[in-house]
Amino acid sequence: MIRLRSVTKTFETPAGAFAALRGVDLDIAAGEFTAIVGRSGSGKSTLLNLMAGIDRPSAGTVAVGEATLDTLSNDRLASWRGRAVGIVFQFFQLLPTLTAAENVMLPMDFAGTIRPAERRRRALELLARVDVPEQADKLPATLSGGQQQRVAIARALANDPPILLADEPTGNLDSATGADILRLLGELSAAGKTVVLVTHERGALDGTTRTVTLADGRVVS
Amino acid sequence: MIAPRWRKVLRDTFGQRGRSLLAVLAMAAGVFEITTMVHEYALLEPALHGMYARTRPASATLLVDRVSDALVDSVRCMPGVGDAEARPVIVARVRVGPDEWVPARLQVVRDFGAQRLDTFEPDHGAWPPGPDDVLLERTALRVAKVGIGATLALRIEGTADRSVRVAGTVHAAGLPPAWMEHMVPGFVAWNSSLREGGVESAQIRMVVADHPLEEGHIREVADSVRTRLERLGHTVTRVTVPPPGRHPHADQMEAFLFLLLAFGILSFALSAVLVASMMHALMAEQVRQVGMMKAIGATDRQVAGLYLGQIALLAAGALIVGVPPGLLAGRTFAVFAAGVLNTDVSGAPFPLWGVAVVAFIGFVVPPLVALGPVRRAARIPVREALADDPPAPRLGGRRMRGLEGLAWLPRPLRLTLRATFSRRLRLALTVGMLAVGGATFMSALNVSSAWLRAVNDDFGRRHYDLAVGLDQPQPVAAVAAALAAVPEVERAEYWPAASPYLVGPGGVATRTVSLVGPDPGSRLLDLALARGRWLAPGDRHTAVVNGAVLALDPDLAVGDSVRVRLRGRTEAFQIVGIARELTPMASVYAPRADVLAATGQHDDEARSLRIVTRAHDDAGERAAARALEREFERRELPVTGLMRMRDARQGILDHLVIIWSVLAAAALVVVVVGGLGLTSMLTLGVVQRTREIGILAAIGATPTAIARDVWIEALVIGALSWVVAVALAAPLSWGLETACGNIFFKTGLGFHVSPLATGGWLALVLVLASISSFLPARRAARLTVREALSHA
Ligand SMILES: Nc1ncnc2c1ncn2[C@@H]1O[C@H](COP(=O)(O)OP(=O)(O)O)[C@@H](O)[C@H]1O
Ligand SMILES: [Mg+2]
Repeated sequence: MIRLRSVTKTFETPAGAFAALRGVDLDIAAGEFTAIVGRSGSGKSTLLNLMAGIDRPSAGTVAVGEATLDTLSNDRLASWRGRAVGIVFQFFQLLPTLTAAENVMLPMDFAGTIRPAERRRRALELLARVDVPEQADKLPATLSGGQQQRVAIARALANDPPILLADEPTGNLDSATGADILRLLGELSAAGKTVVLVTHERGALDGTTRTVTLADGRVVS
Repeated sequence: MIAPRWRKVLRDTFGQRGRSLLAVLAMAAGVFEITTMVHEYALLEPALHGMYARTRPASATLLVDRVSDALVDSVRCMPGVGDAEARPVIVARVRVGPDEWVPARLQVVRDFGAQRLDTFEPDHGAWPPGPDDVLLERTALRVAKVGIGATLALRIEGTADRSVRVAGTVHAAGLPPAWMEHMVPGFVAWNSSLREGGVESAQIRMVVADHPLEEGHIREVADSVRTRLERLGHTVTRVTVPPPGRHPHADQMEAFLFLLLAFGILSFALSAVLVASMMHALMAEQVRQVGMMKAIGATDRQVAGLYLGQIALLAAGALIVGVPPGLLAGRTFAVFAAGVLNTDVSGAPFPLWGVAVVAFIGFVVPPLVALGPVRRAARIPVREALADDPPAPRLGGRRMRGLEGLAWLPRPLRLTLRATFSRRLRLALTVGMLAVGGATFMSALNVSSAWLRAVNDDFGRRHYDLAVGLDQPQPVAAVAAALAAVPEVERAEYWPAASPYLVGPGGVATRTVSLVGPDPGSRLLDLALARGRWLAPGDRHTAVVNGAVLALDPDLAVGDSVRVRLRGRTEAFQIVGIARELTPMASVYAPRADVLAATGQHDDEARSLRIVTRAHDDAGERAAARALEREFERRELPVTGLMRMRDARQGILDHLVIIWSVLAAAALVVVVVGGLGLTSMLTLGVVQRTREIGILAAIGATPTAIARDVWIEALVIGALSWVVAVALAAPLSWGLETACGNIFFKTGLGFHVSPLATGGWLALVLVLASISSFLPARRAARLTVREALSHA
């Protein structure tokens, strides 16, 4: 499902070029619930960003599903991202002036997938699925962190992508709420989604089927 | 059902009302400018081009010994002549108060119902007038101080005073407005009782059949008409050819429109720059949201479309805000300009092409100027946009090292100023906008002050208070006796004068010039000389000409001969000097004896007097003028004209209103735009420093201190803009002073910078900066520590 070959990513910094990933080879099969772990600064987010097509590798290839990301233009990459992957961030990244339901509808709007008349119904279904149906018409600022992250997961599911990518989704939540979120991701994995979870919390690994450990930009196990 | 992305647009627009309002106002300033210009042009265009041409202005006027229908018929049939009409003129003076008279020109009309040339239309009252009636041009009522039905006391050279009834008014679109010329144009019937006694100058007006706008052709035809008339036994004393196709006030009109256009374009450009910088600020704030949207699948194009949509929404608001005052201002300017031309603005509705232009400018320009910042923001990589400290799409960001030297400033203020100076391009835009506004403001004052100075200087060189013209040359002894009987008069000089034709290249007479013979030793006239010298005692056949003569014949220079035709003879004077004079009237100053000889006057006769009054104030001069009129009347020395120099000066100063109104309006718009720019820049600064301000507040900075720093920032920017404005104002003022002077006076006004304008703008820009800083400062002061530190 996800295939990285000899992927290297270097950043230009004032102190010179810095390699955040060094020759990463990685295959993730469909339906797997993969946890990527490692210390802060080990390159986890960088790796996830490459899978999401949010960033491009300095060398090597990234293929996700049918798509070889390196060959796509920026706009095609964005459209592909809207349909093929759902992304969940540590800081939720909900648009502040849109309600929960509208935030969930936004990817459908950009991708033009669901018929406009269907969108709200689908958004409400997704919000019910992540257990925040009654928050549908509230603005993000009025929701708790856990509720916001649930809305963000519902948004990631908007276009029914086969892959979910989550970068420390519990990092900004208390442990109980965080556990709920991980359980939700587990359910989604069980329902057939390929889930990749970046975390540095050992406790998060319970429901996962596989653990990839990064250190200094290399896969060590 | 509105798509969520458009809901975001709507909520962002209406949620941040202050910022949206600023953007709308900035765009509205540009819309206002364009609407004003389009509306004004649409209203004036028919007046400018249609109305004057529809009066069928005469190509040439011939002054002959007598007119008759048969003579006019024969002129009409001469080769090259399109049409002709007899239009004798009676030069008179009308009484406007006890011993106060204003010059009048009454045209005798062959048939009011069948005018052929220089036509006019009934306005109010009777049409046509009876034998004892006069119809006044509608703008003349104010000058003559009468109403319809009133009786007008008239004094015509060489006849007893009489009175006529003002039976009505007409509108003669081809004549300049009477209040600007300070003379009374009127029209009387062919059977008018005023014609008795042969007091009129017999004039025939004609138009050429072809090439009506070619002055050379008109002269040829007019000359051949003159030759033919002379062969028929008539005397032709004068042939005048006015600039073909041009309204007498076309120059002033063009100056007015030029200024309006120049400043309209300037303030429109400023508004566009302001809109661009506001859009840049808007996008800077939206970077993180751009990242979010792109992360969930929005393409660059979709993101850009969304923000361009928001700008279109703001632009629509700007159209609503900017168009109505633009229409009003356009009409106001048009009415004012039409008044100068003595025409009416048409009631034409706002033209369709105007709607297209305004809608295009209003809807297309804002997204166009925003395209750069929007595209740049839409292209930001998601990773960068979502980074902890998202970068604003930077507009020049290097730190100013120089501020490190300001260690004596309180640290928070230093932080504020460092932030200000680190955004160099934004700072340059704001300073530039304020500076252009200031330069406009100062130039407006500089030009009017230069104008005032030039006029005062010009009149200051004429050390007499009254100029009197007598009907006939009178014995100097009699005139002196009359003057001696008027205690208000201090002294007088008698200068022979005449109005000959300037003989141009090829021996063709062109325009009338004024030939004046002052006493070479006279101290009453002290003209500034651009070149050469003034007349010296003992000079013979020398002359000093003014700039207006050079404008008629640019080849003339010191050492050349200037030739004039007078009483059928051509006189040549060698030019010894070129005088700088403000009047557009071409004048040739020659030794008194030469002018006497040329006019056929005797040395012991006087016809034109320059009088110094005892009291040099308005009341004193007025009293002297009245006493003189009375005294000359008592002694039967008929006066044809009496001009107070003070009135003449005021007349010239009155033309300033035109310049001033345009510049003041332009400065106002530019200043408003500059103030908006400053406000938006300060607000953006506060937004971007929210976290920093929160930290300052957390460690004990009071809201007052935080607000004060924003205010000081505004003052620093204002002062900086003032320095730039002073530098900009110099060339701008010089250009405007030169252009205005050349249009009105055929000579520059002389460079002048008014200290009052310079100081006044400093005060004003500081006030403006204070006002602009009010909202941003309040915003900064109201940030709570929690809000500020949680700001993403
Ligand atoms: N935009 C960037 N510019 C420079 N260095 C970066 C950038 N993004 C990440 N890095 C560096 O790359 C390394 C890996 O970063 P990241 O993938 O975010 O680590 P993790 O998510 O594992 O904490 C870190 O040392 C980080 O400092
Ligand atoms: Mg990370």
